[in-house]
Amino acid sequence: MGWWACLTALVAAAGGLSLLLPGTLSAGILWLTACAAGVGLGAVLWRMLNGLDELCLRLEDPAAYSEEKSSSLPAPFRCALQKWSIQQKERTEQLESENRRLLLELQQCRRHRMWGQPILNTIRDAVLVVNEQDQIIFANPAAQELLGFCPEADSPPSLETTVTEPLLREKIRRCRSGRICHLRHELTFDVHSRRRIFEAVFSFLEESGENGGNVVAVLHDISREHEISQMKNEFVNQVSHELKTPLASINAYAEMLVDSEAQDAEAIRQFCSIIQNQALRLNRMIEDMLNISRIESGLVKVNKENHSIALIVRDAVEMMQSYAQEKNITLHSPPPILYDQACVDRDMISQAVINLISNAVKYTPAGGSVTVGLEVDEADGRLRVTVSDTGVGIPPEELGRLFEKFYRIQANSHLAKGTGLGLNLVKQIIETLHGGRVFVSSTVGQGSTFGFELPLASAGCAAAPV
Amino acid sequence: MAERKALVVDDEFHIVQVVAIKLRNNGFEVFTADNGSDAYRLACEHRPDVIVTDYQMPAMTGIELTEKLRQNSATVDIPVLLLTARGFAIDPQQKESLRVAACLSKPFSPREVLHCIEQVLAQRAAV
Repeated sequence: MGWWACLTALVAAAGGLSLLLPGTLSAGILWLTACAAGVGLGAVLWRMLNGLDELCLRLEDPAAYSEEKSSSLPAPFRCALQKWSIQQKERTEQLESENRRLLLELQQCRRHRMWGQPILNTIRDAVLVVNEQDQIIFANPAAQELLGFCPEADSPPSLETTVTEPLLREKIRRCRSGRICHLRHELTFDVHSRRRIFEAVFSFLEESGENGGNVVAVLHDISREHEISQMKNEFVNQVSHELKTPLASINAYAEMLVDSEAQDAEAIRQFCSIIQNQALRLNRMIEDMLNISRIESGLVKVNKENHSIALIVRDAVEMMQSYAQEKNITLHSPPPILYDQACVDRDMISQAVINLISNAVKYTPAGGSVTVGLEVDEADGRLRVTVSDTGVGIPPEELGRLFEKFYRIQANSHLAKGTGLGLNLVKQIIETLHGGRVFVSSTVGQGSTFGFELPLASAGCAAAPV
Repeated sequence: MAERKALVVDDEFHIVQVVAIKLRNNGFEVFTADNGSDAYRLACEHRPDVIVTDYQMPAMTGIELTEKLRQNSATVDIPVLLLTARGFAIDPQQKESLRVAACLSKPFSPREVLHCIEQVLAQRAAV
């Protein structure tokens, strides 16, 4: 506004003077001077206005405006513009770099969110997030199943009413009140009427900009690990007992011989015989354990040839007759069968049949019977050996675990001693080494049938790689 | 002097036999059982001076047998020696509360069993 006012005033003053002095040379000169001044200032002003306009254009779109165009600007503007351009360029680069970083972070966040949700939904551990108002703001499906609730979209369930286990509630609250970033605790409580053990980890997550925070609780079910650990301990004790019992006899009778406690030659012979038998018993047990270990590690050598399974079964029954008689149990052998050849390792199949008969005799009360059967299904190309007893039977819930290593039915464990290895060895021999299948059926109080199926021999019997 | 009486309990026949022979050869009248129930019945019936029992037996363990003996005034004071093949030691508190005279680990020495019995009986006689 100042420039315009000055210019207007100057031109007006020159014009006014020329009008006051009409017809004179001075008036003409003044008029021309006024006009010249007006034109000069106008040109300067014009250039300034153009510069400003250009500056505005450059500010609006620096990329579209070329260096050549700015070269027509006055020097101060040009310098300011160049300085500003450099700053602008640096700032643009910074912003572009920041933009790239944020885009990457955004992508990562999206990816995490995209992956995180399915991961949390898939894992078997229960994950809970409880806010400072004691509300469950997140529970993955495992947690929902564990606690038996379905979250509603509009109102998060309260910890107090949803989590019935007081110790779990207490730990969550303790973690929050103490702002503990890592609290580990073993919790035991019933889930669907089953005792379960959990390794629980609680973490306090502080909310930024707020006083409170959330607690994340992760519950990992370790019931199975506990069970296995317990089974291992029981196994060690059981094996210790089973191995030490024959060893105790060997040691005691040997000492009796040394101390001349055997009264006569017959007693000496009896003591020696006991020592020998107990040594053999010890060896059998160790062999059983080693056999399972060898089969599992793939180190066992299998000598497969075509054999008559009926003959193997007949020999096994003969071998077990005296044991059955000792317990007053009748042992029935299968009727002869015409074609019953299978490509097997004879000693191993014999071991499997003996284990099944021995098991049946063990758990059958005196006066009962054990029947060994053999069926051939030529159409199916398989044969089936069964050992049925009139024993105590097995509860249905235990059937699925009978062939597990070291597993013994607690309810029946008082009836007979054992390491829980016999049936597992049968399974390993039949399924791992011969491609067969073991099976069991039972009725409590009536008896059980254990057995196995094997493929009938084909033309070429070659030892399968083991 | 009246013959001393001992009851030997183990579900392993050879163990019962070897301990019984050792004790008979050394002047004991020996009763034997292969389970806790029979052992308890024989203990009530014959009131032995000492009982040697296996720890791990089907149906009733050696500890359960001792608990039962301690609940009956007729058998409450009979010294009990435990034979054990368990991979761990018997709880000392339980041993003390049941007044188990001694625990011997399998494999055991019949000589040691006899020596232990003699010691226990000598201590009782001194009291």
